[in-house]
Amino acid sequence: MNEYQTIAAGLLSSGTAAMVIGYSEGSAKRVRPVFFTRPEEASTLVFDSRCVQNIAVYLTKKEIRTEGKIAIIASLPVMRSIIQLASEHQLSEEKIIVIGITPSGEVKQFNGFDALDAYVSSTTIEIEARYREKIEQVEKMTLTERWNFWKNELSACFKCYACRAACPMCYCTRCTVEMNQPQWIPVPSHTLGNFEWHIMRAMHLAGRCVDCNACAEACPLGIPFNLLTKQMILQFKKDFGGYNPSLKGLNILSSYLPDDKENFIQ
Amino acid sequence: MARIGVFVCHCGENISATVECDKVAQAAAGFPGVVHSIDYKYMCSDPGQNMIREAIREKNLTGVVVASCSPRMHEPTFRQACSEAGLNPFLCEMANLREHCSWVHEKGEATTKKAIDLVRMMVEKVKRNQPLYPIRVPVTKTALVVGGGIAGIQAALDIANGGNKVIMVEREPSIGGHMSQLSETFPTLDCSQCILTPRMVEVAQHPNITLYTYAELIGLDGFIGNFKAKIRKKAKSVDEKICTGCALCTTKCPQKKIPSEFNEGLGKRTAIYVPFPQAVPNKPVIDKDHCTYYKTGKCKICEKVCPAQAIRFDQPDEIVEVAVGAVVIATGFTIHQTGFFPEYGYGRYPDVLTGLQFERLASASGPTLGEIRRPSDGKIPETIVFISCAGSRDPAKGIEYCSKICCMYIAKHAMLYQHKVHHGKSYVFYMDIRAGGKMYEEFVRRAITEDQVNYVRGRVSKIYERDGKLIVKGVDTLMGAEAVEIEADMVVLATAGIANPGAEELAQTLHVSYDGHHFFSEAHPKLRPVETNTAGIFLAGACQALKDIPESVAQASGAAGKVNILFSKSELTREPLIAVVNRSAPPEYSTCVGCFLCQPACPYQAIEKEEIKDRSGKVIKTVARVNPGLCQGCGTCVAFCRSKSIDIQGYTHEQVLAEVMAVLEND
Repeated sequence: MNEYQTIAAGLLSSGTAAMVIGYSEGSAKRVRPVFFTRPEEASTLVFDSRCVQNIAVYLTKKEIRTEGKIAIIASLPVMRSIIQLASEHQLSEEKIIVIGITPSGEVKQFNGFDALDAYVSSTTIEIEARYREKIEQVEKMTLTERWNFWKNELSACFKCYACRAACPMCYCTRCTVEMNQPQWIPVPSHTLGNFEWHIMRAMHLAGRCVDCNACAEACPLGIPFNLLTKQMILQFKKDFGGYNPSLKGLNILSSYLPDDKENFIQ
Repeated sequence: MARIGVFVCHCGENISATVECDKVAQAAAGFPGVVHSIDYKYMCSDPGQNMIREAIREKNLTGVVVASCSPRMHEPTFRQACSEAGLNPFLCEMANLREHCSWVHEKGEATTKKAIDLVRMMVEKVKRNQPLYPIRVPVTKTALVVGGGIAGIQAALDIANGGNKVIMVEREPSIGGHMSQLSETFPTLDCSQCILTPRMVEVAQHPNITLYTYAELIGLDGFIGNFKAKIRKKAKSVDEKICTGCALCTTKCPQKKIPSEFNEGLGKRTAIYVPFPQAVPNKPVIDKDHCTYYKTGKCKICEKVCPAQAIRFDQPDEIVEVAVGAVVIATGFTIHQTGFFPEYGYGRYPDVLTGLQFERLASASGPTLGEIRRPSDGKIPETIVFISCAGSRDPAKGIEYCSKICCMYIAKHAMLYQHKVHHGKSYVFYMDIRAGGKMYEEFVRRAITEDQVNYVRGRVSKIYERDGKLIVKGVDTLMGAEAVEIEADMVVLATAGIANPGAEELAQTLHVSYDGHHFFSEAHPKLRPVETNTAGIFLAGACQALKDIPESVAQASGAAGKVNILFSKSELTREPLIAVVNRSAPPEYSTCVGCFLCQPACPYQAIEKEEIKDRSGKVIKTVARVNPGLCQGCGTCVAFCRSKSIDIQGYTHEQVLAEVMAVLEND
């Protein structure tokens, strides 16, 4: 067994953790999330570049919350999600053990949020070059071109809400899209309604998105709506020096610092 | 089913001149849910109001729309009328046909159509109104006054004389503030201490005032009417109850060379000290930073000589928690010291003084007993130069504002000097003379004409020392920008008045806003000059902006008046137009997911955590709760809430959307 498998097995056999969440081999050479409670199952754990689904999404589920202490195999985006969720009071420290695997492959076990917070704070969210180029391209378009670009992309959406289901930050018990008194977002998947849904989703992730790409990976149509959240991350970097999920810092959009730039008021 | 009444007002000809009111009433009669629609010349008149009252009773109205002027004008009138007829006042809405339509448009079809649209919007809104009830908040009738200068003293006395309790917190060992340091006051030249000290004594003796000197406010929680203040009483090392104030200890203390704060460093004090003879309370404190015993563990001379045995070296700091209903901030200001000015010698020249230091020299209770003498050699200065705007009105130094009090005190200083040194020559370098105030301009003229003070309009570029003289190099811009050089014996800088160090932290402790210079911000620069944006916290004196004594006193009385109004009832009544977090049936209890991102967004600290518990007391869910005492209904949290779990009562999502749709769906 390798290092993270050994740790996972140890946590279960000692009774420190009641359940481990990680990835295992699925069908067609794909990985799938796995939830197990017996130490001998630890050997089925895998972790490689295919593990792009953000499994932090499960931590806020009612079924998981009642399971006792959970150990989770966490890539950097998953660790960021855990800190962001903790800063939003959605996770409690006593119930989570993080078996972190850093981008360089190092396995780090975090028993408390403080250590995890310190590690996450030492990293920065960087937008990959290929996305930056695409965003620059879109930003250079005229308003009509941009409208047509997004109309073309978003008209395909049939509102399966897989993007929402995949996102660890979408944990509201009643999503705005499901409100009907009043009905904010039209239910049918016509182009305008699709615009409203994706703009709203992006805005709700402003200052919270950890850039894990789980939403875009989950989209059955490959709509590049993650350009919206990525563009916001770049914008925050420009305007407020960027952000990183943190237990100590304040949410970038709901807090004010005297040296914040106010160049949007002109 | 909704039964809405629409009442269209002509407002004399204010509305009817451009809007066809009868057509508006006819159109409104056809709106779904409208059962009564009329127009009348003056809805706000008695017969007009009667029409509303009668319609409510006879037609059993469930909502009323008055289409008339701005709600600013007559909303209370019409809500009262509805209330008298038994309809909840918050089921009455106004469509503003005057300011929003008739006054801003020409007569024409489109104008009448807009008026109809405005009425339609309000009809759709009022159908969704819920009865609301005023919020009642109990009031603790005790005020906290932070700062014991003249502003704090005035505020405290006015509140106390109004029959309410006051707790005054002063950082220094004595109250009195800057005014106690002044020699005479402009424009009447009456002795500052003579008019101040009776007030200081009154504060100490007033049955309604509790005085905490040598104490600091370290925390404030709660909201208007119901604050909890945490005060740290620094250890004085003297048992105040036993100490008789004989001051024998201060004469025997071996530490005699500590620069006296009261004398602005021009005099010395001991480690156990009373800041000045008229101090209130007139009991010494031990300055632990300078006391030999606290530094070396040996001495205790004061303890040996104290006839009352009142010295307590082991006295701890004490934290006091008090419940107060209102807070008056009166923490005052400070000034830049001479060290701030490189061109004027960085504070190296002992005879370059600040205005406050000159006050001490001129004061009968000062280190020279009122004789104006040079700190360097004790000689009486033959030539004295006053420089105004030292640091003020100087964006390059970061202080672009006018310190406001300097023009007047410089004229006073020059006058006092001329009165004391008859053969002396005095010069004032100035940019402008700002003497706006009762008898102020006359006072400055008197200095120029009667006391022969030489006013030179120009700036001083440099001061340096040569042969025991201070060479002042400046320019006289009224004499063709001629260079001026004066050999002076003493220079007084009217240094810029600035916010107290620690003002920013105090503002954060109190949750009040402050400007870029750390002066506290008033709620409205003209119409609410003594309130802060935080309900129940008021401002007095120079902590808001630099002010002279009369202005500080006036503002302090204003703040005290506001506090006494607040305390005039045992309960506060507030409009219920505040944010509320929704509740729903179990097992959700609320759609709020408790992310608390709304918490930092709230400018009024109104968002709290609420634990929803089951019968056994187990916490099922933690959700946000809006404190109705603190919420001002600004709606920032509403905009921030992703799950739309917060609504402003009276302006709910549903109501506002209904208004918008009422316009859009008819075009």
